[in-house]
Amino acid sequence: MTPYGFIAPAYLLFFTFMLGPAVFAIIISFFRWGGLRPPEFIGLANYERILGDEVFWISVRNTAIYSATSIFIVVPLALFLAVALNSPSLRFRNMWRAIYFAPIVTSTVAISQSFLMLFSREFGLINLTLARFGIASIDWLGSRTLAIIPVIVVIIWRWTGLTSIYFLAGLQGIPVELYDAAHVDGAGRFRSFWSITLPQLRPMSLFVSVIVLIGSLQIFDEPQVLTGGGPSNATRSVVQYLYLRGITQFRLGYGATIGFILFISIFVLSLVQMGAFRGKTRD
Amino acid sequence: MIAQRRSRLRSFRTLLADISINGAVAIGGVFMVIPFVWMITASFKTTTEIFRPATILPASLNLENYIRLFTQWPFAEWFVNSLLVAGSTTIAVLLFCSMAGFAFSKYRFRGRTPLFFGLLGSAMIPFPILVIPLFVIVSNLGWTNSLVALVVPFVAPAIGIFLMRQYMEYVPTELLDAPRIDGAGELRIYLQIVLPTVRPGLATLAIITFINSWNNFLWPLVVIRREASMTLPVGMANMLTAVSAGSARPYGPAMAAATLVSIPTIVVFLLVQRYYIAGIAEGAGK
Repeated sequence: MTPYGFIAPAYLLFFTFMLGPAVFAIIISFFRWGGLRPPEFIGLANYERILGDEVFWISVRNTAIYSATSIFIVVPLALFLAVALNSPSLRFRNMWRAIYFAPIVTSTVAISQSFLMLFSREFGLINLTLARFGIASIDWLGSRTLAIIPVIVVIIWRWTGLTSIYFLAGLQGIPVELYDAAHVDGAGRFRSFWSITLPQLRPMSLFVSVIVLIGSLQIFDEPQVLTGGGPSNATRSVVQYLYLRGITQFRLGYGATIGFILFISIFVLSLVQMGAFRGKTRD
Repeated sequence: MIAQRRSRLRSFRTLLADISINGAVAIGGVFMVIPFVWMITASFKTTTEIFRPATILPASLNLENYIRLFTQWPFAEWFVNSLLVAGSTTIAVLLFCSMAGFAFSKYRFRGRTPLFFGLLGSAMIPFPILVIPLFVIVSNLGWTNSLVALVVPFVAPAIGIFLMRQYMEYVPTELLDAPRIDGAGELRIYLQIVLPTVRPGLATLAIITFINSWNNFLWPLVVIRREASMTLPVGMANMLTAVSAGSARPYGPAMAAATLVSIPTIVVFLLVQRYYIAGIAEGAGK
């Protein structure tokens, strides 16, 4: 009896606030629900509507840009950062670690507001610096084409340190003998990096890419504070769109539909990852 | 001769590598620090200085922004709300996760494996899918604008149970058997033997939970509308968005708030970095 007593509270909470709501979300997505009218069953109408919803597809495109940034910029940067932070020739290592890891624990809202000022058209540090080189002030946050850049900068700034912790853990798992042997064979440091460090970190890189992908698909805080999703949806992420439709505009059914589609996308991508892992161990 | 030249070439290349590593880390480090420096210095600038920033450093240590923050916004309330939410979430997470972790690591019982993997699988449910249904549930419970809604749904995370189980695997079973023979109950064994032994694990989980809860934005934004009930991130975001048309955004007070919100977590993090990083690495390694 005892073990069940110990796990009971956790499972009660788990069913009430996690599994139950997840199932409930799917049910809600089949309803038109909002305002004062009672929920009305409409079958797959929400799903049909979403396929033709231009703003939804814009938010998908923006989220894809955020994910691509995370995978193709944050992950490689984090790998190099981890190697640098792990290198015996780095001075003041603890100080640099603290500096690069500080964003992990800092409120995204606080830091996004600081970036909001840095990118300000009239008084931001970035435009002031550019002005010194004779570049006219740029409306970073108000331009439909440029507004995504500040969001990307904050993503890189915020996620690189956290991601490098995974690589640091991976680096510590590489047997020192491999490097010793390479050294005896006359391999320099660049050589060791290419033929030992990178291949040894491959499984970790795959794992990290997937974690980062899943995280980036759920991005909300950074664009919400920097641009509020604007101008005219140019930076709105899928989760921001869910929030806008489901909560702000109180269209619960439509919001739940966006959530379920996001869930399926994340699930499918995770399965693809597991396939990649299995393929990896075979060769 | 040739060997000597080669070794000199190698030491030159080593030197070059040293310089480039240190240089790259330093340049990147400057970029990492700029938003923090800007945040802190702007919090001491006058409004005129903010809108005409001739220098990065403020002319004087002017506390006007901090005074405005505490008098024009319920900042003290937001701070207390955040402390209450993060504090009670942390205590509840430690309790429920350590209990479940204890059961999974130290007992054999029917359904143990499927229950555990079911739980692990649930870690794959992304939070955004839960926003709408949780909002409906919380509204029906009458928890809108209530801090309870910010705590209760998050007190038994699968990751926490997993982490606690990992730490408890290392507790030797003999340590539990001796008091059992002496007639100690299972609850006493959990409280007096297991919990003190896994203190590092509890510390790791506590720090991660507290910081995540302290910085959480999306869910409090959904649930809390009343200004006095807001947590820090929601209140701060509200400072810059809920500005009446025509008036300037209160950047100075916002940066004062950002400074006061970030400093505690960074200080705590610097003190306990080891545990935090161990926790993240542990999650990755398994």
